[in-house]
Amino acid sequence: MNIILLLIPISLALLGVGVWAFFWAVNHSQFDDLDTPALTPLSEDSPVESESIRK
Amino acid sequence: MSASTCFHCGEANPRANPILATVQGREEGVCCPGCKAAAEWIEHLGLGDYYRLRSEPALRIADREDYSAWDRPALRRLHVRTLAVDRAEVVVLVDGLRCSACAWLIERALRGIPGIHDIGVNALARRVVIDFDPGRLSLSTALSALAQLGYRPHPLTADMLDSQRQRESRAALKRLVVAGLGTMQAMMMAVALYAGVFDSIDPSVREFFRWLGFLVATPVVLYSAQPFFRGAWREWRTRHLSMDTPVALAIALIYLASLIGVFVGGHEIYFDSVCMFVLFLLVGRHLALRARHRASDVVDALARLQPVLADRREGDAFVRVAVHELEAGDIVRVANGAAVPADGELIGPRCRIDESLLSGESRALPREPGQALIAGSLVVDGPIELRVQRIGADTVLAGIVRMVTRAASERPQIARIADARAANFVVRVLCVTVITALAWSWFDPSRALPAALSVLVVSCPCAFALAVPAALTRAVAVLAQRGVLVVDADALETLAKVDRFAFDKTGTLSEPGFDVADIKVRRGTLDQTLGIVAALEHGNTHPLALALRRLAVDAPPMTAHALRQIEGAGVEGEVEGIRYRLGRRDFFLLHTGEGKDDDALVLADDLGEIARFNVSEQPRPGVIALIRSLQADGIECEILSGDCPARVNLMAARLGITQHLAAARPGDKLARLDTLRKQGHVVAMIGDGINDAPVLGGADVAIAIGDGSAMAHAVSGILLSSARLDRLIEARAVAREMVVRLKQNFNWALAYNLAVVPVAAFGFVPPWLAAIGMSASSILVILNSLRIGRRATAHDETATATRPASEATA
Repeated sequence: MNIILLLIPISLALLGVGVWAFFWAVNHSQFDDLDTPALTPLSEDSPVESESIRK
Repeated sequence: MSASTCFHCGEANPRANPILATVQGREEGVCCPGCKAAAEWIEHLGLGDYYRLRSEPALRIADREDYSAWDRPALRRLHVRTLAVDRAEVVVLVDGLRCSACAWLIERALRGIPGIHDIGVNALARRVVIDFDPGRLSLSTALSALAQLGYRPHPLTADMLDSQRQRESRAALKRLVVAGLGTMQAMMMAVALYAGVFDSIDPSVREFFRWLGFLVATPVVLYSAQPFFRGAWREWRTRHLSMDTPVALAIALIYLASLIGVFVGGHEIYFDSVCMFVLFLLVGRHLALRARHRASDVVDALARLQPVLADRREGDAFVRVAVHELEAGDIVRVANGAAVPADGELIGPRCRIDESLLSGESRALPREPGQALIAGSLVVDGPIELRVQRIGADTVLAGIVRMVTRAASERPQIARIADARAANFVVRVLCVTVITALAWSWFDPSRALPAALSVLVVSCPCAFALAVPAALTRAVAVLAQRGVLVVDADALETLAKVDRFAFDKTGTLSEPGFDVADIKVRRGTLDQTLGIVAALEHGNTHPLALALRRLAVDAPPMTAHALRQIEGAGVEGEVEGIRYRLGRRDFFLLHTGEGKDDDALVLADDLGEIARFNVSEQPRPGVIALIRSLQADGIECEILSGDCPARVNLMAARLGITQHLAAARPGDKLARLDTLRKQGHVVAMIGDGINDAPVLGGADVAIAIGDGSAMAHAVSGILLSSARLDRLIEARAVAREMVVRLKQNFNWALAYNLAVVPVAAFGFVPPWLAAIGMSASSILVILNSLRIGRRATAHDETATATRPASEATA
């Protein structure tokens, strides 16, 4: 039974780490737009030539 | 994508497909040269994937605009934030940015431009942040690149970068997650404690778990529940008790009682209950917040309505300047189809002005030199010159915006039964608790605290407090799935009570259209005429053009060449070698025939008039069903319109509405709503357009239509995201069902409390049983709330059964 005296504080510490990581993510605008980034990996990385912008 | 719609923008293509764009090796039909250019440019950049990824069609490409004026220092200072010598940042509101694929396209296309450091695109907020090197790239180049992709950029002022909105939603998200994680932990600790009651837990282990509960619940109460404490404090200062007060009191009391339990010992603790309570409340608030943010804010509307640039006369030439550089007395030229930049006096020539956004008047109005023009209205036949009188905050448009803000803040808060009851209840429970504590300390001081806490907990206002958010959250979610966005949660409660519906006419009840019977053909056959018209209007997205094209579906397909749009007036082009013009009658300067229906469209060639299309108003889809359903429930409908009496009468007769008010300015409409409200009616106003915005703000429930202007959205409580008005029938049914469930929840909470509190006060209920009773009560409330929207549509029987508002409980 004494093991919980160790395990629970560990779990709480991990919880603290999780909350900190989440706050960090929110503050670094990881949650501002939940729709757009999902599409980024779907496209193939064809190089975009910068000369192609017609003026 | 089918061949009958444009590959790029999804507009209807003509039967005979004259314009083809080559995209990813295939020929795709597009509706106009602009779309062809955009599609091929996108393909040229190697971004053809856009068409696979996007979820909504793009905006039709408008004529290319000149953005060079954005490089003027005065404008740059206002809109561009300089970060370093070679870094500057500008936030652009992008019209037509509709889905994630657009965001992807913009990001990929702009990244390739030399001089751009970084691009941030947010599809949700429709904003693009361009981080660029001002030495290598001018702002106008970046803007024209956006325009070339088919989007319309509107740079925002620099101080909007760290918007209030973003901070608000970030804070809400953090609070929510902390509450969620805290609740899970607190539950775990609580389960251990509950189990310990039956399994004879070791007292030291029990203490340990209590401390743990305290540890995880404290951040939830002190951090996540902050908005409730702040709200309660605000309510206390303004002496206006509302929902936040009982909620904050309940949270504080449960927490403090548990705190005593931890430090003093001897009775149960309720950290799990308080966490769950906070979590549920926050979930409800978060959903409401998201809905509010989705409905665009006033800034968006203003950014689009008011032009930022104007052509000012300097000597003999006209120079493009920013609107805020204008001063009273300046002379400004306004091009055909452009918006008037500032309030002023028309110098000449005589012209017609479309004020439909501001007044709701659907016809263009003639203006003589010397008459006043209002900023934001469109010049139908220009170019004109005007002398500026008022700019910026002094304009009529700005006044309307202020009216909106004021009307919204003065919106009557119907005394909410929920609030009043919960507040009353909290006060009573506090009294009972105090009495219990006093009584027990008289007889047996050692039992005073447990008994008092039992009362407090068994009677926990959770069931009461949850009754509202649980039902509201569920109703909001159900409606969101059906295309009805609830921006202001109060609006739903009020919607159930509405006994009077007021509609705006233009753009709400009706849309312009044509009746085949009302087409007068002077030469040739009807079919041929329609074919020519369809060819001329090809690619035009004006509602009238769309209506004409719909009429011409069965006409022989023809192709028009040398099409030339004359904004606000008509179109010119060649069909089978003959030159035709189509547009308003005075586009041809033909002053023949009856002068009354001068808004009819006329098709003419060089020999004169061929056919005349009288514009009539057609009810929007779903309108008739809605009106019938409302009238069947005994709810009166009326029309409040800025349009001329003849048209309003016609539409009212067609829809079977007896009450109507025509030629009403926003002030008149507001007055009418006021009268109705003074008579004791609960009024819902449905509208769109800038002119409706103040009126919407003054109604009990404001409902805006999704394709209306953004300003109307900003003040509305409910937003129909599709243009189908009959969604309102469902919305009303759900709102009423919600009120029924709310009442059931309340009655249950009341009955439960009445039954249990006395027992607890006499000390028969151990606190752990009280906690279980309370939790079960809360769960029952939640389950009951989840029943909302189970039935596809609420039936009339239930609707009528609940109409007499039962004032059973106090």
